[in-house]
Amino acid sequence: MAASVLGRRAALLTDAISVSLKAFSPIICYHGVLLQTAGYHANPSRFNVKEPFIPDKQNERTPEWQKTAKHDRKLFGRYGSSSGIDPSTLWPSRAQLEEIIAEEKQWQPSLEEMLQNIAVKDKELADKRRAREKLIAANMAKMPDMVAKWRMEKREAREKKKEEKAKRDRLLAEAQERFGHTVDPRSSKFQDMLKDMEKEERKKRKLLKRKKREEEQGMFAAAAGDNASASGPATS
Amino acid sequence: MSASKTTGRKSLSILKDLPRITLANLRPNPGAKKEEKRRGRGVHGGGKSGRGHKGERQRGNRPRLGFEGGQAPFYLVIPKYPYNEGHSHRLQYPPLTLRRLQYLIDLGRVDTSQPIDLTQLVNCRGVTIQPLKRHYGVNLVEEGAEQFCAKVNIEVQIASESAIAAIERNGGVITTSYYDPRSLSVLIKPVPFFMTGQPIPRRMLPGEDQVKYYTDPGNRGYLADPEKIRQARLALAQKYGYVLPDISKDELCDMLAMRKGIRQIFYGLSAGWIVNMAEKKILKPTDEKLLQYYNAQ
Repeated sequence: MAASVLGRRAALLTDAISVSLKAFSPIICYHGVLLQTAGYHANPSRFNVKEPFIPDKQNERTPEWQKTAKHDRKLFGRYGSSSGIDPSTLWPSRAQLEEIIAEEKQWQPSLEEMLQNIAVKDKELADKRRAREKLIAANMAKMPDMVAKWRMEKREAREKKKEEKAKRDRLLAEAQERFGHTVDPRSSKFQDMLKDMEKEERKKRKLLKRKKREEEQGMFAAAAGDNASASGPATS
Repeated sequence: MSASKTTGRKSLSILKDLPRITLANLRPNPGAKKEEKRRGRGVHGGGKSGRGHKGERQRGNRPRLGFEGGQAPFYLVIPKYPYNEGHSHRLQYPPLTLRRLQYLIDLGRVDTSQPIDLTQLVNCRGVTIQPLKRHYGVNLVEEGAEQFCAKVNIEVQIASESAIAAIERNGGVITTSYYDPRSLSVLIKPVPFFMTGQPIPRRMLPGEDQVKYYTDPGNRGYLADPEKIRQARLALAQKYGYVLPDISKDELCDMLAMRKGIRQIFYGLSAGWIVNMAEKKILKPTDEKLLQYYNAQ
């Protein structure tokens, strides 16, 4: 879009002032659109290549930093071969190269190594994740039973509470009937009444039991008597 | 009819009489410039201009994130909140939007007939990279993807999926590649580096954290398999619903096919070469060991 607009503008410009266009180079043509691009111009060098200043290394007054190999390289970079520096010294020497290689070997793992490490790490992570997923799935399978159990417990607790409340209400009502007024369930009067009632109940239960037993015994005896009378004539 | 003709002629004559447009009679559009706020003027003089009393706050010299003036900082006392953990070591990638890239291309600041890498972007003042501020390159962002219409061969450090799609939809090529801080400083300022007379260094491989990104064909990483990248290009075209232009039949095919080596910093220059700006010469090493070192992958 913008390029097409600019292209039109550029085309107009070329019609109008075709001479001044030479300042913009190169001119690219693509999609049928003229584009002018400004090339990069480095700043002019501030160093005089024809009369280079080369510090005298033998001179005592030359600062130390101008006697180093780094500065020599810099001089070559500035002035080229007119600096009088041997280009072969620009590269690291054998010993330096050995050092560089050793350092790289120590600190820069190769791509294969890194890829291997990454694969191992990824696998570890995936295993961990899978184990966790498995655990979650197993626990989730137990979930419906656990929920049902929890529901049942809840229901039972509710019913028990309801029952207890009903029983207490009944006792209170009974106490009111007996004493003619409302009684505090914590009072000794009420507690005594409870004990009495319990005693009575126990007695009642005992009686019931005895009655039952007697009845059973009576029935048993009757049955035995019947049996005896039935078999009597046969033995005589 | 005749009236309009006369007015047209009139306006033309006015236009002829007007002075030529020069820098002297140009001014910013109304509303384009905001007046700067001048603190502490008039009745407000003598105060602290809203900057508080003394110290780092007043002088705008605030210390680093989380620093509490020497007292054991909160993030160390209660090491529970990890939001800013490692903030001083994180890699930074200043964003470059597609809108800005299009702007640079339209103004002719970037030459699309050549591959675009960080050197071009920095030279045209499109981005500012500061390696000392842990910058590791640029992040190509999809903002302005609809307007983007240039065919480029661009190399960035991080690119979002839709930015990749926008470049490839226009028949361009994009690569994401890693530069270690030293290579980056060489790449963004080649001339000062060449002036030091040092051989071009080998580009280091990314760290283990970054390897995954640059081996992923979806990110168009420079360590990814070219065949897989070809497939990923097709898949992305299908996902975004555009027809992938055939590069091999393009007139700029050679330019679009240009890619740097894994250890290469500049197009056309390999590691170990010395570029001499004064004599306009390139010096290449001949020593066996040096060659072996510089050419090793």
